[in-house]
Amino acid sequence: MLGYVVRRICVAAGLVLIVATLVFLAIHLVPGDPAELLLSQGGVAPDPATVAELREKLGLDAPLLDQYVNYLAALLHGNLGSSLIDDHSVAAEIALRLPRTLELIAAAAVLAILLGLPAGTLAALHAGSLADRLASAAAGIALSIPVFVVGTVAILLFAQKLRWVPAGGYVPFERDALGHLLVLAMPAGTIALGLAAVIFRMTRTSVLEVAARDYVRAARARGIAPGRIVLNHILRNALLPVVTVLALHLGSLLGGTVLVEYVFNWPGLSGYLVRAVELRDYPEVTGIVLVISILFVLLNLAVDLTYAVLDPRVRHV
Amino acid sequence: MIARARRELLIPGIVVGAIIAIALAVPLLPLPDPTGMDVAARLSPPSALHPLGQDEYGRDVLSRILWGARTSLFVASLAAAAAAVAGTLLGLLGGYFRGLVELITLRFAEIILCFPPLLLALLVVTLMGPGAATLIVALALLYAPGFARVCFAETLAVRELDFVTAQEALGARANRILGRTILPNVAPTLLVQFSLTLAAALVLESGLSFLGLGVVPPAPSWGLMIRGARSTMEQAPWLLLWPCLALSGAVIALNVLCDRLRDAFDPHAGHVGTGWLWKRVPAQPAATAQGTEKPSLMRVDGLSIEYGAVRLVRDVSLRIAPGETLAVVGESGSGKTLTALALLGLLPSSLRLAAGTLLFTDRNGQVRDLARLDEAELRKLRGGEIAMVFQDPAASLNPVHRVGNQIAEAIRAHGALGRSAATKRAIALLRDVGLPDAQRRARAFPHELSGGQRQRALIAAAIANEPRLLIADEPTTALDVTIQAQILALFAALKTRRERLGILFVTHNLAVVAEIADRVCVMYAGEIVEEGPARELLYQPRHPYTAALIASVPEGGARRLAAIPGVVPLPSALPSGCAFAPRCRYAGLQCTAAAPPLEIIAAGRASRCIKWREIS
Repeated sequence: MLGYVVRRICVAAGLVLIVATLVFLAIHLVPGDPAELLLSQGGVAPDPATVAELREKLGLDAPLLDQYVNYLAALLHGNLGSSLIDDHSVAAEIALRLPRTLELIAAAAVLAILLGLPAGTLAALHAGSLADRLASAAAGIALSIPVFVVGTVAILLFAQKLRWVPAGGYVPFERDALGHLLVLAMPAGTIALGLAAVIFRMTRTSVLEVAARDYVRAARARGIAPGRIVLNHILRNALLPVVTVLALHLGSLLGGTVLVEYVFNWPGLSGYLVRAVELRDYPEVTGIVLVISILFVLLNLAVDLTYAVLDPRVRHV
Repeated sequence: MIARARRELLIPGIVVGAIIAIALAVPLLPLPDPTGMDVAARLSPPSALHPLGQDEYGRDVLSRILWGARTSLFVASLAAAAAAVAGTLLGLLGGYFRGLVELITLRFAEIILCFPPLLLALLVVTLMGPGAATLIVALALLYAPGFARVCFAETLAVRELDFVTAQEALGARANRILGRTILPNVAPTLLVQFSLTLAAALVLESGLSFLGLGVVPPAPSWGLMIRGARSTMEQAPWLLLWPCLALSGAVIALNVLCDRLRDAFDPHAGHVGTGWLWKRVPAQPAATAQGTEKPSLMRVDGLSIEYGAVRLVRDVSLRIAPGETLAVVGESGSGKTLTALALLGLLPSSLRLAAGTLLFTDRNGQVRDLARLDEAELRKLRGGEIAMVFQDPAASLNPVHRVGNQIAEAIRAHGALGRSAATKRAIALLRDVGLPDAQRRARAFPHELSGGQRQRALIAAAIANEPRLLIADEPTTALDVTIQAQILALFAALKTRRERLGILFVTHNLAVVAEIADRVCVMYAGEIVEEGPARELLYQPRHPYTAALIASVPEGGARRLAAIPGVVPLPSALPSGCAFAPRCRYAGLQCTAAAPPLEIIAAGRASRCIKWREIS
């Protein structure tokens, strides 16, 4: 078990280094002078003086290897550089906004699990029934509609027509707990809808597959009660792949909340990212991409370790 | 099956085809200029001239929706195509050449998959600035790894196939093998991947345009239209509705097409039902004539099992007395396992108990027909009075639970024992079945035990509640020969230790029969062909099939093994007359005329052969 954990951690650390290197290299991989590239607008050549200034600011004049070493050293100190526009520390801004994005994702995940898991299990246990077919069709549709469409229509319906919740914005929890939850409801619900559909599908397939296994039949042959067979024998095994898929989706949500945060004006990491991309504020963009990618890697690590706890076979691999 | 899959493909196929056709034909249609403004008529509701209304600049919405389809599909399909070409090439090369090429192509793809997709796209937009060209590059970069992975896996699988090896042996060059042989084989998977990618690219393109980081205004795009309509949604909600409907509709159509394509290419993806969980009323099989005699332990009369209209097991009758071991012998496909499963009501849900009575005398001396008990009543008998041991011990234990807990669970399902008492009893049982260090083994997970140890544990679970009938379905088949002997010895020990225990032992191995059985039923193609006391039947078979089985058992003195020519006939294509006739060296004309009955030939012996006297 310990060997497995150490190995996984080493792999994750290696991945973090690769990701950091790629983010560093990205600007150099695009043909042409990076500074000129960032400043060009619609094919118009930028002012040479501005280009020189940017080059110096980004340290692009030093040899590539020196740049790389400096970059890694800064990273180790938690320094992600500062904004090209207003010189704000990128790390500080991320520290302020990241928790809000994580809260959004966590709330959505809880909602989606509460909806998708029981629904998927029930659909599998009643496979082929009318309810199963309706639920599967609904999940297919929920998966297909883009989140920003769901979000925009939700605003039109719940905020403008029914006036149940505010259209968006942010209320700090410590100032007004209920108001906080009210503004959280729509963006979290919007993300949860698609995520619940994913969980539903995965759970349904997985439960059907496990229910056909020999050990389920063997448990029946021992006279174990149906409820116990479902919980202890089917779900216990069927949930392993669901956990993986869920984690992968949560990982892509780290970047995928961009649209939802934008629609609902949620002041998380993504709004910051969109603005940075619009203004082509390169240090901000790379900082955010790096932080999210590292979280992504850590999440995968957490899944692998959870797997080892849930499935005794993995510990020996 | 395939015809149905084709039909199901038709509707989504037509819808997607129509969307593509419209996108292609837009310049030819008599539509107003999608960028032509008419500010005076801004936000006009639908009218005869503008069927979907006019937007915030007075532009015609219908025209913009249709032109938007063109833009969105153009970007999405170009990106998907670029990703497909690049990814397929990487995957093919990596999968075919392996080694260093695999390292470079596949690891590169996997690193790209490390990044959340939208982020990577935004990174590209930052570097290149917004616009359709940027979008195509970003999306292609994003989706190529997916193709590479799928293609790699498929190539690996295909290149191991015989016809590829054969071509290599004939000296075909790599590019020829890749292009002519491997590519066509991975094409179906790639087609599915392509339509998946197309849908995903459509969503991402409109998402980026919605953020204002994709298609540049005033070009029409669904994402941009939704973005524009947001600011006026209070006055003109329909402006929001049209592009939302168009986008969602297109993505739904593409996704449905994908699902159907996948089903069409993968016919194995059928479901196995879980109906047994809720089945309360048993299907009523046709009753068969019952004798009045009360079974001493178990009596099966006229058991028939059907799959659709095909009879897999026909008119099987068995008797098991307390303390007796009945062996049911036959090749694979003879119906012996189905017969065993039917006794416990564990037949797969696709099969039906068509006829028969399964009378069992329980502990209180009450006779019960297992074919007519409902699931709840059967459950009380299963693992209680009637227990079963299965063929594959590795698959029959739940991999995530400790062995001792699985035995304790079986104990607690039938009694009032508490958790710790049940665990203690489980350890005692493991000791009984000859597991050394039972205390520690009880805490082991199934994968930590050897095959023989697992089967011992399963036998311990089966005898945990002092069953009166033990059904063993090929309990030694999946084990090594030396372990087989040990497990057989364990069954023999069980027989002597529990002298009232009846055993139904299903096997294809006559050597096993000789060692353990008191009486034997030989099954062939779903019916019993011979029955009798074990010694007599083995020394003096009275059916050519039994005789042939015995001749095919390797023995010390035998000079050569006599294999039985041919195979067991399919239940859907049984020969007329005797089912064994086509493989039988005694067969004559009268054998194919009519199906022979099971004839009583001596006390306790029966044979389904009209020429049984000639066999000796």
